[in-house]
Amino acid sequence: MENGELRKILEVKNLSVSYGKKVAIKNVNFSLKEQELLGFIGADGAGKSSTLHAIAGVLSFEGEIVYKNYVYHSPKEAEKIKYEISLMPQGLGLVLYDFLSVKEHFDFFRDLRGLKKDKEYENRLLKMAGLYEFQNRLAGNLSGGMRQKLSLILSLLPRPKLLILDEPTTGVDPISRAELWNIVNEMREDGMSAIISTAYMSEANKMDKLMLFDEGEIIASGTSEELIESIKDYTYEGEIENNKCFSFNNRTYSLKPLNLKKASPTLEGIFFVNALKKGKKPIVINVPEKDIEIPEIIVNAKCLTKKFGEFIADNCIDLKLKKSEILGLLGANGAGKTTFIKMLLGLYPIDEGELYLLGKRIRSYEDRLTLKSKIGYVSQKFSLYKDLSIKENLEYFAKMHSLSVGETKRKIEEFARMFEFEEYLNAFPKEVPLGINQRFSLAAALLHEPVVLFLDEPTSGVDTVARSAFWRLLRKLKENTGISILITTHYMNEAEYCDRVAVLKRGVKIVDDEVKNLHKKYPRLDFEEIFLQIYKENQ
Amino acid sequence: MKMSAILKKEFLVFFRNAGLVIFILYAFTLDIYIAGKGIKVTPRNVSIGYVNEADNLIVNKIISSFHKPQFKQPKMFLNEKALKNAIYNRKIIVGIVFDKQFVNNLISKKQAKLQVLIDSTAAAQAEVTLIYLQNILMKFENNLNLPAKINIIKLFNPNSNTKWFMSLSELMSNITMLGLVLIAVVFVREKENGTWDIMLLMPVRGSLIIFSKILSQVLILMAGITISVGLIVFGVFNTPINGNLLDFYLISFLFSFAIGGIALVIAAVSKTILEVGHLTIVIMLPLIFLSGAWTPLSAMNPFIQYLSYLSPLRYYIQATQDIFFRGSGFFDLLPYFFAELFMAMVLFYIGYKKIGKLF
Repeated sequence: MENGELRKILEVKNLSVSYGKKVAIKNVNFSLKEQELLGFIGADGAGKSSTLHAIAGVLSFEGEIVYKNYVYHSPKEAEKIKYEISLMPQGLGLVLYDFLSVKEHFDFFRDLRGLKKDKEYENRLLKMAGLYEFQNRLAGNLSGGMRQKLSLILSLLPRPKLLILDEPTTGVDPISRAELWNIVNEMREDGMSAIISTAYMSEANKMDKLMLFDEGEIIASGTSEELIESIKDYTYEGEIENNKCFSFNNRTYSLKPLNLKKASPTLEGIFFVNALKKGKKPIVINVPEKDIEIPEIIVNAKCLTKKFGEFIADNCIDLKLKKSEILGLLGANGAGKTTFIKMLLGLYPIDEGELYLLGKRIRSYEDRLTLKSKIGYVSQKFSLYKDLSIKENLEYFAKMHSLSVGETKRKIEEFARMFEFEEYLNAFPKEVPLGINQRFSLAAALLHEPVVLFLDEPTSGVDTVARSAFWRLLRKLKENTGISILITTHYMNEAEYCDRVAVLKRGVKIVDDEVKNLHKKYPRLDFEEIFLQIYKENQ
Repeated sequence: MKMSAILKKEFLVFFRNAGLVIFILYAFTLDIYIAGKGIKVTPRNVSIGYVNEADNLIVNKIISSFHKPQFKQPKMFLNEKALKNAIYNRKIIVGIVFDKQFVNNLISKKQAKLQVLIDSTAAAQAEVTLIYLQNILMKFENNLNLPAKINIIKLFNPNSNTKWFMSLSELMSNITMLGLVLIAVVFVREKENGTWDIMLLMPVRGSLIIFSKILSQVLILMAGITISVGLIVFGVFNTPINGNLLDFYLISFLFSFAIGGIALVIAAVSKTILEVGHLTIVIMLPLIFLSGAWTPLSAMNPFIQYLSYLSPLRYYIQATQDIFFRGSGFFDLLPYFFAELFMAMVLFYIGYKKIGKLF
């Protein structure tokens, strides 16, 4: 890198943001050079979004920001440089209007920004995003990945010198993520700089420089190699059960020396080492062993098909879910995962095919009612009643499943202890961290002792430490209660925790195999690479 | 058991939405009070002017009959032109011209003509003012020994107290609006917050969920009606009730379910609470206009009168007015009960079928 020759374009001095009494970030300092990619990583609520919004000039802050030679202290002063800075806020396609087509979005955003029409540049953007052929399609009919690409090229429309992306890839499949990165890299060659926050560590590796946010402060910064280097003394191979160290993805992190083989660290480890340094301990999971009679095959789907008009969302998919098995359902946005799960749940009528639960064919409305009482489900955004406290939520679900008052009380206490959310029982869902919501949604889904658990992207947006706790919980549940779990995720390295994966592409199942077999078939690749490979092979 | 769980949940959600609670309380109390106090059809403080070319004692006597609170102290104008100008400039609303022959004609031919100019921008009020005028003049004719004498006995609302009528009409309209909104929102909120699927996944029949959810809101409505009737209708306006209050609760209950049926259709087609708001207004206005809440049914175009049979609000209003003012008994009210029950069943069936598709 010839960074020496490049000009500094942004300097942030003593930046602080607070919401009322709550301090979001305090005294943050850093700078950015031309063509540089700066990555923000950290747990949710660490202050990444606040920093990005302050720089973009849409949030009041204390301190000073210098863009090129222009100094600003408030959103008002930032007005003058806003045409050179573009912000894409968090959330899938949040800036889009469902009833406008791709082309109309371009017209609207161009007029809004008062830009001259530049046909050549616009076509280039559209081609980069693979949307050139879909200019007349309504945004509401685009898949999640396409929506995100459209949002990105719209924020590139004014040819910004500084692009600010707030978790642009959260909830986006690996294919679309790769395409989003290609767009950013191409624009960067034109001289653009970017600040990007991300939850995917495989992306963090692509940044020139990384900053780790924690509780409103930057606690580490440097290239990803430097950050990885800093934790190499604490990283060991394998996973162990110990309340003084964290284990995730075949690595164990401990501040005290362990009698284990050292391993090459990964970027993810930095979160665990940081948590350890802060004196945090992993949750102790204590799932009691249960001996329930469960048949070998729990769910058996035979050639399930779902059509929406002409569009075939799922085309004759076979899937067997065995006792005590974690099955990962993978695929790009719009590949038919959610539709498939909804058919299994009895939320969508099945157009063609047969569904068996515990050996019994599900046909009538009555059958579906029994089906529902055997299934636990956690949906994408942990859909809980936000006007009810965590305890009231759990009580409601318990009653709906006909649990007695005594049983309800006992179960709530048991789960609160087991999943460690006792202290939050009287809080409302929006007052607690996402990781807690995730665990208590899981408790809500398990109250009635289901034989199968369906989890639709339960880890999206949740920070690494919480995700590791969640996966340990799922493994324990599976081992000790014999429950089987069907899970979808966009974190490909989480697939390592599954016993088996099924990959969907455009409504068709293209792979259904055990994880260890896939590793044998594609040696020396991590799971994200394996996934991309599989998708490439099945054009 | 499961039903009580749903009811408890819906009540908790309702009472934790401070904004909604305040709005409902407003609609059931202050809004009814304002409507009762503020909306007036009878003349009040009407400014009146006259030209007296006849210059006779009878004229003075007639003029002195226009007094407070219906009329302001009448103003005298020198000629017709000045009177007309005053009306154009909104100085006065009513102008009366007593011409030179007025007294003569009155006494000799017993056929006097009186010229009345009236600003009828507010048509209803102008109309009613005119009737007042005629009544006042009639009294004089009676003094002059006309062959017939009119003796008026006002029934049901003997003081023609508009507060009573207006506050009840406003209450009916508000119950319609709130019934639509509350019941539709209780479903659409689940869609908006993404809890719809979770709701469907409960091992409970869809019919139980739908019915319990509606019941929770109907109970909230009934509580609101109780507050409104107790505090404003009886408390502030001292409205008499000649019939049985229980009959009123029964018809209110039936009406809530008829409205609930319409609300289910709204809930089925709306994705957001904002859409519920839009649809509610579009549906509520014709319901109210066709009901006779603000205009007597008999004054409507015959075609529209037939249409009004389709509005569940029509039976509710007629029954309510009968209960409060006429003092009709349970058996007299049966036709209304049956009509409302029929409407409730038909509308509920349609709504249930519509939202049932989503379950």
